[in-house]
Amino acid sequence: MSREADVVRSLVEMADTLVDDYDVVDLLTGLADRCVSLLGVSAAGVMLASPAGGLGLVASSSEAMRLLELFELQTQEGPCLDAFRTGERVEHENLAAGSGRWPSFSAAALQAGFRSVLALPLRLREVTLGALNLFSTTGTPMDEANIIVARAFADLAALSIIQHQAAAEAQHLNEQLSAALTSRVVIEQAKGVISERAGIQLDEAFSRLRAHARNHNLHLTAVAQAAIDGTLDPRAWAAIRS
Amino acid sequence: MAQDRLHRILAELSAGDGAWPVARLCAVCPRILGVNGAGIMLMSGDIPRGSLGTTDEVSQLIEDLQYTLGEGPCVDAYQQDEVVAEPDLAEPVTRRWLAFTPPALRAGARAVFAFPLRIGTVRLGAVDFYRDRSGPLSGEQHADALAVAGVAARWVLEAQAGAPPGTVAEELEAGADFHFVVHNAAGILSVQQGISVTDALIRLRAYAFTRDRPLTEVAQDVVDRKLRLG
Repeated sequence: MSREADVVRSLVEMADTLVDDYDVVDLLTGLADRCVSLLGVSAAGVMLASPAGGLGLVASSSEAMRLLELFELQTQEGPCLDAFRTGERVEHENLAAGSGRWPSFSAAALQAGFRSVLALPLRLREVTLGALNLFSTTGTPMDEANIIVARAFADLAALSIIQHQAAAEAQHLNEQLSAALTSRVVIEQAKGVISERAGIQLDEAFSRLRAHARNHNLHLTAVAQAAIDGTLDPRAWAAIRS
Repeated sequence: MAQDRLHRILAELSAGDGAWPVARLCAVCPRILGVNGAGIMLMSGDIPRGSLGTTDEVSQLIEDLQYTLGEGPCVDAYQQDEVVAEPDLAEPVTRRWLAFTPPALRAGARAVFAFPLRIGTVRLGAVDFYRDRSGPLSGEQHADALAVAGVAARWVLEAQAGAPPGTVAEELEAGADFHFVVHNAAGILSVQQGISVTDALIRLRAYAFTRDRPLTEVAQDVVDRKLRLG
């Protein structure tokens, strides 16, 4: 009963990250820790794909060197890579039995004391972001009920990350739009200043402003701001006026 | 349910002529929402930056008033990050918008509703609707308005995503009115009076307010050299 309550509470806590501002690494570290405490595995870690396309470790349940090395190996071969590429669950109940599947990884895992491994993709519909990797020191397959819970954690983590990325992109675009509008405002104000100072029309004022910026390899907005602030070089003014 | 609503609105948008999406979005609002007109205002740093589209003279005036006065339904919806409804400007439940309300009523707006334009926590501005008779939006209309605001916000950011860095997207500028004339006038006035552009903007607003004229008109007169502030 208590374990079920713990699982439910974990899911609720993770779901909260959908609405709050949060840190992806914190989220995934929490996920790895929960897997260890609730699912009877010895270690867990999450790898995410980088923009370049390769997998990298983002969070793990322990900082033990032997565990970190196992993830380092998995940038080349291993259950995480397979789960990430296929978008499907990947498991190996008995690494000692060997199958030639992941020679370097299996050897290192066995040396580290792990006998079985499971990787679940971090996935939302057709998009796979990475994989959740669970390690066990026993050679028995993981309980199906536990796998269902692990999958729920993984799905929620994927959803959170995707939402977070979308929100970050929206924020970035909004800031770009705002900055671009601000630049335009500065340029329009400078057009007014130049037009009055030089006794010319606004269009002509803009042409001269742009020509000056080009001829001297300066940013248009910077020249405009200087024209407004009165910090524009007198020679520049003379050039703009004539 | 929400998906059906969204599909219906998107279907309305896809039909019809090739006018650009935000203007089209505004144009279908009267039919979908049972209002007389709509306008979308872009805002950042707590101030109106301009309108992305309006459907008629009244909604244009509503937008101009808010730009000039810095108060009104869109301004509140954006700053408070919530839906703002005034079903009867002539007998408002909440006493607010003392400068905005009389000219809005004179122009024929009797009820106004404003919805924040946002994606998640990213806030862009607000969309407002007016009616020439008093009364609230129905539950259906309210829900549709929320969907319209969502579509508009998404469209604005997608349009901006295609813009060269440091510039405003062409599609956004094409149908929008960022009131650049006000900034041209501020530049001119700053030189005429030997003051900063910021102070010049304040003087322009003050002049427009005391003479009960739209800021953009006053600005145009300054630019045309028909008006020289003393």
